[in-house]
This record gives sequence, C-alpha cells and structure tokens, in this order.
Amino acid sequence: MKNMKAQNLRTLSVLVIGAIIIIGFITKIGIGNLSAVGIKNLSLICPLGAVETAIAARLLIPRAIIPFLIGVILIIIFGRFFCSWVCPMPLLQRWFPGLQAKEKAAKDAADAEHIEAVKVDDAAVTAAQATVEEGAKKANSFTLDSGTWVLVGALASTAIFGFPVFCLVCPVGLTFASILAFMRLFQFGETTISVLLFPAILLAEVLLLRKWCQKICPLGALISIIAGLNKFFRPTIDDSKCIAASKGINCQICHRACPQGIDPARPATSEVGLNNCTKCRECADACPYGAISFPFMAEKKAEVAAPAAEYWVRYRSELGFVCGAGSDRASPANQKGKQYWDRGSGRRRRLIRWRSK
Amino acid sequence: MSRRSFIVGGAGLAALLGIGGIAKYAGVSSLLRPPGGQDEKRFIALCLRCQKCREVCPNGCIMPSKTEDGFVNARTPKMNFKLGWCDFCAEAYKGVPQCVKVCPSQALKLPDGATATSIKIGVAVIDKDSCLGWLLKGCRTCVDNCPYDALTLDENNRPVVVENKCNGCGLCEYVCVSLKNASITGRSKDRAIIIKPLN
Repeated sequence: MKNMKAQNLRTLSVLVIGAIIIIGFITKIGIGNLSAVGIKNLSLICPLGAVETAIAARLLIPRAIIPFLIGVILIIIFGRFFCSWVCPMPLLQRWFPGLQAKEKAAKDAADAEHIEAVKVDDAAVTAAQATVEEGAKKANSFTLDSGTWVLVGALASTAIFGFPVFCLVCPVGLTFASILAFMRLFQFGETTISVLLFPAILLAEVLLLRKWCQKICPLGALISIIAGLNKFFRPTIDDSKCIAASKGINCQICHRACPQGIDPARPATSEVGLNNCTKCRECADACPYGAISFPFMAEKKAEVAAPAAEYWVRYRSELGFVCGAGSDRASPANQKGKQYWDRGSGRRRRLIRWRSK
Repeated sequence: MSRRSFIVGGAGLAALLGIGGIAKYAGVSSLLRPPGGQDEKRFIALCLRCQKCREVCPNGCIMPSKTEDGFVNARTPKMNFKLGWCDFCAEAYKGVPQCVKVCPSQALKLPDGATATSIKIGVAVIDKDSCLGWLLKGCRTCVDNCPYDALTLDENNRPVVVENKCNGCGLCEYVCVSLKNASITGRSKDRAIIIKPLN
C-alpha cells in the first residue's frame, strides 16, 4: 500500500464509501448518504446542510448541533480531506474529462516536460525567486474567493425561500440520488423523470463546471473557512531535500501539481491559502525529490533569513542527518540554531569538530 | 480577488437564488409525509434528503419523492402505502417510530408522548366510482382491517371514513383489492381508498 499512488488510494477511498452507502440503501441499518451518514440515530451531518437547515427553519436544531461540532473538529484536524478522499466529484471529473480533455493532456505534457527540465538541468530554470517575497501573508489566512460568494448565494437563497437550496443541486447528493433512482427503477419499477434528470444535472456540473471544486463548491468554501483553524497534516517541506529551499531553484513542480493551485513550497506567498488544501497528496507524489510530507504536526521552523548563504545550505545538507532534516535552521542569523550546534555531543560533536578542521 | 472569480462567484450566487425561486414555486404538490413531518413548511426547511427514514422503516412504506412532485420535493421522503403501511413501529420497535428517531435534522418530529392515535399522517378518502363497496359488490376489506375503527359501513353496507378516528396509517390503502395484481380495474386509476395529505 505504501507505494500506491495517492490518486489510486483516493479512488479506492471514494469507492469504498460509495459502496457503504449503497449497502445502506438496501439494508435497514440507516446509514443514510453523505448529507447525514452514520448508523441509526447516530450521524455525522453535512456542515453546509446543517447551516442551511438552521437558516431555513430559523432555529438551531438541537439534534444537529453535536454532529455539526464533531464535523467542525474533524475539519480542524484533517482540513478539507473530505474534498479529495470522500466526495465523488473529483473522481467523476477524472472519469469524465469532458470538453477539456485536450487541454488537460496539454497541461500534463507541459508538466512532464517541466519536471524533466528541472531534473536534467537545475540551472535552466533558476530564477532565484524562491525565497521570501514582499508582504508575506499568513499562510493559513482565508481568502475571499468565488466559492465564498456561491456560499453566500446558497445561504441567502435558503433564507429567502425557506429550504436548503444548494442540496437540490449538490453533486454529492445527486450522485447518490442517481444511484438510488436507478436502484428503485429496477427494484420497484418506479418510473420517474429523476432517473434521467439527476444524472443529467450531475453530468452538466461535471462536464461544464470543470473548476467546481476550486472555484464554485459552496461546501468546499465552508470547509475552507473552518479549515482556517487546521494546523495538522499540512504539506510540509523538507528544506534539505527541496531544491527551491536549498538551492534557490524556481522548481514549481509541487505548485503545478496542486489541484487547488496552492504553492506548498512557498505557502507564505501562495495565492491560494493552505486552508484550501484537500490533503490529496498530489504534491508529495509529484515532488521528484520526495521533499513533501504530511506530518500530523509540522516541527516549528525558525524564520529564515532570506537567501540562505550558500555555505550554510551546503553545510546543512551534508550534515543533514545531524541537524534533523532541516527542521532546525542553523544559519548564522539564528542564535537558537547556533546553540543547538554547540550542544552537540558524541558522534555529532566529533563530526562537527572534524568539519571545522 | 480577481475579476474572474468575482464573475464566477456572482454567477453562482445568482444561479442559486434562481434555483431557489424556481424550485419553490414550480409544480409543487402536497405530499404525504412520514409521521411528524406534517407541518410542510417546517419539514421542507429541515429535510436534508439523507434517506435515513426511508432506510430504517421496518415496513418499507417510505419512498423518495419524485421530481414530478416538484423539484423542491425530489428525494424527500413520502409515504407509499402500496408497499406497506405504517404501524408507527408498534410491532418492530414497541411504538417508537424509527423514521422520527433517526432523522438527523428533526424534520420529522413528534410531540412528547405521541401515540398512534394522536399522530395523524393524513386521512383516508374513498373513490366512490371505483370502490367495490360503493358499487354494491359487498367488498368490506378495508373496514375489516382498519385497526382504529375509522371505517364503518353505512345502511347500504358501503364503507365510510370516520375522519376524526383516521390517522392515515395506510392499512386500508394497502389492503384495498382495487388495482392490485389480478384484480378488476374498470375505471379506476388508483386504489379505491387512498390516504390524502391533511392540507
């Protein structure tokens, strides 16, 4: 399993969850669908559904509060994991590449070319703009994006018309509604327009709104807002392996791989905040140097003085195992790092002594 | 925020307002909801279309509404007494309606201490044109089956609904011989006794 590509793992995850829900359709366990999933009267409730129903009915539903809070806690721990590991939409978009199949193929080719270029000749793509740029904003800050406006639209429409409006066109709901309509067509001979209408709306969303997950989905937007509090399982760069951090090469491979458009190597200047990260691991898979991991908590990085001196960079990478894989910066500007070096003992001290000869 | 995302966001916002408006008023019919969902305005505000009530119903008499019932109603639960009838879970769960128990957003909600006689799903209505009893053929299947004495016979042995006793459990509709396999159909398009929503 360890060497399985993240994309295949995600496909597997979505299919397993789908299978569980279909089991729910034909048994009496009461699994429900992703609007409210669980067993019998225990359920996790869709956060957008919970907010919409509360607005539509103008009351806080006592029974929904705790499941909603559990959802919030899950989002704080795992961020937008739902979007790549549970939601069927990205999978459907992969299965139905639609009108933009050509564009996607072109982008894939360009990406492959780019990766080769970076690998073959580091210098060829050096732009040395890898390090800190002006006005570094907070890495996790939430940015007002189009999805946020769709979310506002969903909630406003719900408030005006008095029912959860987005649920009618939610691709997650429509996926399972389509499956259910088909099942009932054969099980009970239930003929209804739904059998055609649900897949038609779903397919329109899949094929025509290619940037659904990034630019439109109000559920994703809501999770993104909550995920502003998420500090765990974030893409973390091992600076000793990352050629952007260690050599100042404008590599951009992880940036190009990210479906959300995040720049994991430079989160401080990334146009899309890390709160939009769906933990899909595409960046980790794409990095040819294996520099990206998703640890539960990233070890705190000391602020880096802008362009790390060549000497220190090389020094650190040679002694990479000594200073803990770049977790503790040891630049001259960093006194804490210096102390760390001075504290060295045993094999490490001998090494340092050997180096300083 | 870029101009592009402003346009996309604005279009999405407008689209959702449009969908809400159209769905609210286009072709909506009043439906027979599971127990506790009779306040239609409250119900439609809270229902998440999660299918849990339909799944747990021990008698299988809840079905997802069709798009033909109104786009806003699509996938919400409604009673289908052709598939079964509602005994308020008396047999399987000692009278605790499971649909109400599992509803995560409490779209289905009963007052405390509600019993089969105090809950009202709908009310039975007899189609006098196709009912065998009313055609004076002597059929009294519904009258014999009604658990709540909500059906009686008039002086000509024709079934009559006692509306204040009927709670819309659907057993009469379930057992009605009209339009069943191998039964006479005549002019009838549905069972001769069906449960209608209260409003």
